[in-house]
Amino acid sequence: MTKLFERRLIPADSPGAVASTTALALFAAMAVTAIFFLYYGASPVQAYFGLFHEPFGTLRGFGYSLVRAAPLALVALGTIVSWRSGFYYLGFEGCFIMGAAAAGWLSLLTAPGALLGPVPLAIFLPLVILFSLTVGGLWAGLVAFIRVRLGGNEVLISLMSNYVARFFLQYLVSGPLRAPGSLPESPLLPRDTWLPFILPGTRGHAGILIAVAAALFVWVLLEKLPLGYELVVTGFNPVAARYAGIEVDRRMVFAGFFAGGLGALAGMVEALGSQHRLMDGISGSMGFVGIIVALLSRLNPLAVIPVALIYGGMSVGADAMQRRASIPSSITFILESLAVLLVLASDILRFYKPNFSALRLSKLRASGGEDSA
Amino acid sequence: MKHTLEMKNIVKRFPGVIANDHASLTIHAGEIHALLGENGAGKSTLMQILYGFHSMDSGDIFIDGKRIQLSSPKDAIALGIGMVHQEFMLVPTFSVVENIVLGLGQGAGPMLDLPKASSKTRELSDRFGMAVDPSAKVGSLPMGVRQRVEILKLLYQDARLLILDEPTSVLTSGEKDRLFAVLRELRKSGRSIVIVTHKLNEIMELADRVTVMRDGLVLGTKSIQSTSQQELAQLMVGRDVNLHAVKPEACFGDPVLRVEQCVIDEGGIEKVHAVSFEVRAGEIFGIAGVDGNGQSELVEAILHLRKIKSGRVFLAGTDVTHMSVAAHRAKGISYVPADRRGVGSVAEMTIADNAVLGLQRRYTRGLFRNMRDSRSSAQQLTERFGIRGAGIDSAAGKLSGGNLQKLILGREITSGASLLIVEQPTRGLDVGAVESIWKELLRARQQGKAVLLISAEMEELLNLADRIAVLFDGRIMSVFDAPFESVDRIGLLMAGIASSPGSTSVASQETERDQTL
Repeated sequence: MTKLFERRLIPADSPGAVASTTALALFAAMAVTAIFFLYYGASPVQAYFGLFHEPFGTLRGFGYSLVRAAPLALVALGTIVSWRSGFYYLGFEGCFIMGAAAAGWLSLLTAPGALLGPVPLAIFLPLVILFSLTVGGLWAGLVAFIRVRLGGNEVLISLMSNYVARFFLQYLVSGPLRAPGSLPESPLLPRDTWLPFILPGTRGHAGILIAVAAALFVWVLLEKLPLGYELVVTGFNPVAARYAGIEVDRRMVFAGFFAGGLGALAGMVEALGSQHRLMDGISGSMGFVGIIVALLSRLNPLAVIPVALIYGGMSVGADAMQRRASIPSSITFILESLAVLLVLASDILRFYKPNFSALRLSKLRASGGEDSA
Repeated sequence: MKHTLEMKNIVKRFPGVIANDHASLTIHAGEIHALLGENGAGKSTLMQILYGFHSMDSGDIFIDGKRIQLSSPKDAIALGIGMVHQEFMLVPTFSVVENIVLGLGQGAGPMLDLPKASSKTRELSDRFGMAVDPSAKVGSLPMGVRQRVEILKLLYQDARLLILDEPTSVLTSGEKDRLFAVLRELRKSGRSIVIVTHKLNEIMELADRVTVMRDGLVLGTKSIQSTSQQELAQLMVGRDVNLHAVKPEACFGDPVLRVEQCVIDEGGIEKVHAVSFEVRAGEIFGIAGVDGNGQSELVEAILHLRKIKSGRVFLAGTDVTHMSVAAHRAKGISYVPADRRGVGSVAEMTIADNAVLGLQRRYTRGLFRNMRDSRSSAQQLTERFGIRGAGIDSAAGKLSGGNLQKLILGREITSGASLLIVEQPTRGLDVGAVESIWKELLRARQQGKAVLLISAEMEELLNLADRIAVLFDGRIMSVFDAPFESVDRIGLLMAGIASSPGSTSVASQETERDQTL
């Protein structure tokens, strides 16, 4: 008997095939999550409307969406740079924290009476970007160095280094940078060092502009510069890269450095744009969620900004949903997780093609059966 | 004689290749059967099907006339079929007996009965003369003993048919003799053994029958008494169609590449022993030899993709021994590697991107990659070399082997290098592709490039080369000048036999020296 779906030897990889399987996966994730909405007595249509109306239909909500999207996008861009270079770094949580700590520390130095004293934002901003980037770059670059020189496993080392960063920040906010008071957190950062708000009447700050600029830069790097070409070749096939005269080890260390720098910028944006102080747990797992954003973007830097907006917006919508309809916001996690799982799993669909003649035949047979009955 | 196992009309396709094309194989009880073929001939795939690791697209497997189904290695071992892989699958921190019972669920309930397993292991080891201590830690054992542990593991599971993939590639010559003794013992006990190899002398020494594969096809099965090393070598590397290339008059220039006393070792085993040669401008210098005799190592060392233990490499008089790969390329070496998909190209990237692989720093405009030039270069390559099957914006992995090879060769020839190193350029290609690649190589020679051609195909070397060096076991056995009158002698040297009777052969001299060392 002929099969209705034939297996392909090579997956269909046209943009249409990728888009349609991804859409199918998202639809399936929403359909499954609808069951949970029904369980809480909510209409799925209304719930989905609520989920997307708050973050994208109201100015205030949109401001929050931008705030959530910026660090996610930066972490996702770091993931893209490192993973496409074959360096499977998972330490963005640590880079985030180190970047936040570096930015917070530098910012506190500009407080009246502190070492530097007040510095205009136009000077402070480039300085703090450079400083956070370097700190995060060294943090992740070290892992890359250990991998290429000593053969260490970057997945393990980077995961473990996340804890080191976390404990380091805990030490900072309960020791040298602690504000007087009961909570282990730093003083409020000087207002002059805050990222400017860009949407009047909302919390939306300039972090999203940094993220957009970074996305464009990563895109130019990977698609337009010879260095990016070498990174991508290294990621796809290190043997071929060596053959082509590419110094695989150096490229990998560079990828680690740059990816770590982007992760640290995420922390900087969160500290200077949104929290305005340092505290334990400042990363809020964004170092991991950003990796998910990168996966959903299929490691395409230009897709990162919209995906991060949707992802960040959904968490804003989920909070609103919980406040208004008392539907647990964790349902959104289920939706997000299902979306990731199914989008990644949907790749398998591209290995199959419908056998139209067999489909027609089975339809014919079905109708023929009715005739004879 | 009773047939123990038959594989009939096995077909297995991978993207872009037919690994097994209606391959059939019969293995009798109590024989050592060699499966011979070059890399990529399909022998490993055929064995992985038998071992249940790959599924076949079509075909049948019978044991004693009964059709069997294999969907996993578990099924295979339940039917008495086991395989020792080229890379051993042992846990180094476990003892021998722990490795042997690993995954078998031996013992009572959830508890392992190691003492019992240990005594059974010892019994098997003694019976077949393996001298393996069941309590030794695997990590502390030499390669030869680890291999015997793998064999013991199969015997412990009562395997009747043992498949050994390239069993001697990691062994010293003493360990090899030991292995052969064990295999003969196993044959005596009525078990069947398949060794997958391309080493002819070992086949002659050990096997009862040999099946030769090439390009996914089984060319035939011969008993060892009725064949010779030379015949097998011809079957393995030969091509059925007779091709002739018109070679214009040679016009040699100065030496472009000089290799002096090059020694290469890998994990303590010397792969290339003090090889020296010279390639002149306008000359095609051929290196003949069956796979695995040090050719790949030599080429990789010339480009600095692999460390040279001692010796020097000169390019147009400059010592480049310790320069980076990029520096080699900048100094004018281009290289067409034997592994088109794994080394010479990046399957996931577009043809246009692959057209500048290795030249990425040359195709630039200011800081940026020059996409227009790299695309037009890809376009020119597809036109001039007749690359068909996919547009320049589709993934290079979609190209067939021949078209991909034309892309790589085209890229390397047109890069303006003074030395072109070409390794197995026509392996697995159809006649049309072979002809066009030969023509391009001769054209490069006419343009005054020095060409180093590494090939296992006699016909290719005889048609193209101006000189042929025969490499066997990491040594240059002899160098011949065109026109080549002693074709037979080249073939024999490739197989490691020095022909003139009476005098001691080079090969046996060398083996003697190895053993005394």
